[in-house]
Amino acid sequence: MARPHVSGFLDKFVRPLVAGGELHIGAPIPTPDVDRWESELPHASVELVAVDDARTSVLSTLVVRPPALVLERDDLALAAGLHNALFLVHPRAERWSVSDRQRRRIIDNALSLVSQPLTRSRTRVMARHALLHNLFHLKRNDIVVSWWTGRARFQGQKPSARLTAWPSVRRVREDITVVDFDELLAVPDTAPIVATLLRRTPLTQLLDSHPGAPPLHWEDAVFLLRDAELARAIAYRLVPDVQPREQVVGPARLAAAFEQMLERAPEEADVRAVTAFLVHLSALYALGEIHLREINAKSPLISTVLAAEAAGQRPRGLTTLFALPGALATVDPRLATPPGIESIPALAARWRIHRAQTAELLSDAVIDALAQRLRRHLKGERRDPSEVVALPTRETESRT
Amino acid sequence: MALEHVAQGQTRFFTPGVAPDPRGILLGRYCLMTFPTLEGAVSWLRLYSAEASLDELMAHLTLTKAKTALGSREIVIQIPAVSSYAADRAARLARLVGGAIYTGTSKHFVKFRDDRSPYGYDAVDIGAMPASTDFMVHGDEFAQGYVREGELPFAKLLFRLSIRRIPGADQLAAEDRGELYLAVAHGLSEGIIRYLWRNRVEAQAGLFTPRSSSAFDEQRRGYMLIRARALPERILALFLGTPGIDVFKPAGANAAVAVGYEHPIDLASCSSVFPPDTFHVFWPNDRVDVLPGPLTLSDIGDLTRVDLELDKPRDPAQHGGGAAEPIGVELRLAAAMGPPKRVVATLIETKHADRLKRMLFALPPVSLKGHRVAVTDRGILVVGSENLDVIPLGQLMCELTPGLLVPLGMDIVPRVSPEVLARALGHQGGVVTVFTNDNHPFQIPESAFTTLERRALAKMPTDKAESIDYAAEPTAEAQVVNDAVGRFALWGFPDAPDRKLLPSGDK
Repeated sequence: MARPHVSGFLDKFVRPLVAGGELHIGAPIPTPDVDRWESELPHASVELVAVDDARTSVLSTLVVRPPALVLERDDLALAAGLHNALFLVHPRAERWSVSDRQRRRIIDNALSLVSQPLTRSRTRVMARHALLHNLFHLKRNDIVVSWWTGRARFQGQKPSARLTAWPSVRRVREDITVVDFDELLAVPDTAPIVATLLRRTPLTQLLDSHPGAPPLHWEDAVFLLRDAELARAIAYRLVPDVQPREQVVGPARLAAAFEQMLERAPEEADVRAVTAFLVHLSALYALGEIHLREINAKSPLISTVLAAEAAGQRPRGLTTLFALPGALATVDPRLATPPGIESIPALAARWRIHRAQTAELLSDAVIDALAQRLRRHLKGERRDPSEVVALPTRETESRT
Repeated sequence: MALEHVAQGQTRFFTPGVAPDPRGILLGRYCLMTFPTLEGAVSWLRLYSAEASLDELMAHLTLTKAKTALGSREIVIQIPAVSSYAADRAARLARLVGGAIYTGTSKHFVKFRDDRSPYGYDAVDIGAMPASTDFMVHGDEFAQGYVREGELPFAKLLFRLSIRRIPGADQLAAEDRGELYLAVAHGLSEGIIRYLWRNRVEAQAGLFTPRSSSAFDEQRRGYMLIRARALPERILALFLGTPGIDVFKPAGANAAVAVGYEHPIDLASCSSVFPPDTFHVFWPNDRVDVLPGPLTLSDIGDLTRVDLELDKPRDPAQHGGGAAEPIGVELRLAAAMGPPKRVVATLIETKHADRLKRMLFALPPVSLKGHRVAVTDRGILVVGSENLDVIPLGQLMCELTPGLLVPLGMDIVPRVSPEVLARALGHQGGVVTVFTNDNHPFQIPESAFTTLERRALAKMPTDKAESIDYAAEPTAEAQVVNDAVGRFALWGFPDAPDRKLLPSGDK
């Protein structure tokens, strides 16, 4: 049997994965093939350029000047690992003839492919995000064809023409069910592969998510918050200009991950970075309301999402998100208010109204409990930045 | 003979045919006024017509010559008692001209009320009336029977009365000159018409010959009657002093009286006397012409002389039609005089596009709400509903009329109305017209505008600014398709490499 060439994989799987289209899932890809494909990459420049162009297009909405991207082996391995994970939900892999041992072998292979080194390189993180940004939006059309004497199910496959022929005479009916991330990549066999894969692309996890996806591990992603452009892109993607309930979904997810982070033993600098980021998200909510007709009116967003009658429907982390500035005011006031907020009087006014409204809707016990948890991590007395950059005094000059 | 004062609320009376009116005043169906002379009767008519309309009395107004049993003659005017108010006026005027007034219905008339008896009088001893008596009046101290000698028709009286010259009445005020009639002798008519037409006096003219009721009447010559509107004072003075031209002022719809004269009785108050198919012209010296009415007149503009030269016929010349030669005024921008207008847009030069992109990526989406952008080769036009100050770039623009943008602080001269300006520029709905400082306006269709967000300028290279279409295509949905892999796809699938050999640590 002819060995598959990397150009076919790039054209049929990688490019649709990035730019959208039909991702063709074939036989599982063994690791030696991926090694061989690395050497074949220079001979698939057309497909390679198409993939890289598509990745640049994806990044064009994130950063002003997307970096030059070249598909490398680790990208190829991540894509191959995802392909193998998707093969596990291929109808061929669910036949009786496929033994558990064979499935285990495919899972191990996929895990080894996606277990690429973690990275903090800006370009590599962006390249991986561009490759996998569609991960949570993969879908498959399952078609159930029923006719007068029977029925057949086609998972991501086109029914044969003989089954759909003479539709009125044979009373052919096609029912299409759209299967998404939950049933493709959140099933027991694929979930560990996807969890491993997502740790390799923290930008994707920050920007996007799915209820069935593994939670964010803030320690893997906090370094992105130190890149101002990426942090801004993440913040603005998380607070879109939509309905209040949809506007808080992303930040609440990150706040829930922050709650989990506080249960571990993160570095204090990481906790500070994440808290500052979450407080900045709260400031964006206030910024969106500075053009309200009545500047002293209560926030419609907070009234909607923190309403006492809808307390049971609050997404996880929402309480922490809104309680954080109040809790930080008692733990470390410098983190409690975003810097520069006082320079815009309307924004400062909205910020104060938000805080007062939040304190009113959330009980003091909630804020105090969060403050207690934060105190365990924010121990060190940070030096005031003005001290760090202060000009040397006359005494120090004479000493030197 | 005795009269009793009628008391307030009294309902029963000795006098037949009388009853209290709503005010409690005794009133019959008619009022009867006796005058010793005809002049008295005419004076009463004259006074009454000046104060109120005689038309309302005309239906039952009769003038009768009556004779008493002693042979004295009196003129009796009988009018319908329309109301006690009309009767009060008639009584006041009758006493003023030396007459007496009574009220009743058929034969017995009792004295009408006066100051001594505000509710009127009732005759308490009405006896049998002599057979030769037509009607009887009951006064304070007497009861007088009358015999009718003859009727005097009001219309006849009206035409027998001479109009009188009023000093200074030929000086007409502007409102009195609103409509005047000119009786012009035949020989003058053409000249007068031309004169009026030349002086732009609105006028209509008709040729009339007065009706004659008898073959023995003096045959009057016809004349041209001209109805002139708003005749200037100087022309009126000219006509009044010109022999052969007589000027008449309308008195009601069907009569006209010579200017400077007045009929003793106000003709307008008794217009029902004149038959509707007649028009009466009251000349000086007791002449009354009856013309067929209503007057049918023609515009004098159509009566001016026409000169025909049939021996030199001229065919109408053919001229090629063409569009009117346009009169062009160059539109240009000038400093605006009025207060500054609201900034609604900014035009950013293409060379500053990368700055806009960087700014766009630095701004939160909530700040850009309501902003739209269109990228052209003349620059990037950002239009905002409000709060455009978040983009401190480019030439700020304000709106003259919806969709017509000019630089802030500038106005378009010549200052014409926005509608005229839009028409001149071909500006219409669905198009945005932008005036730039270099006086080369350009237009962009509304469809070229997209929401200002990262996606709108995502493909813009930050070092070049030549492309036009920068919008990123929406990402297509990624869909898993399972290919047929054959029966032996898993044959020979190797074990995973030893995971301990995996590279570790950050790259």
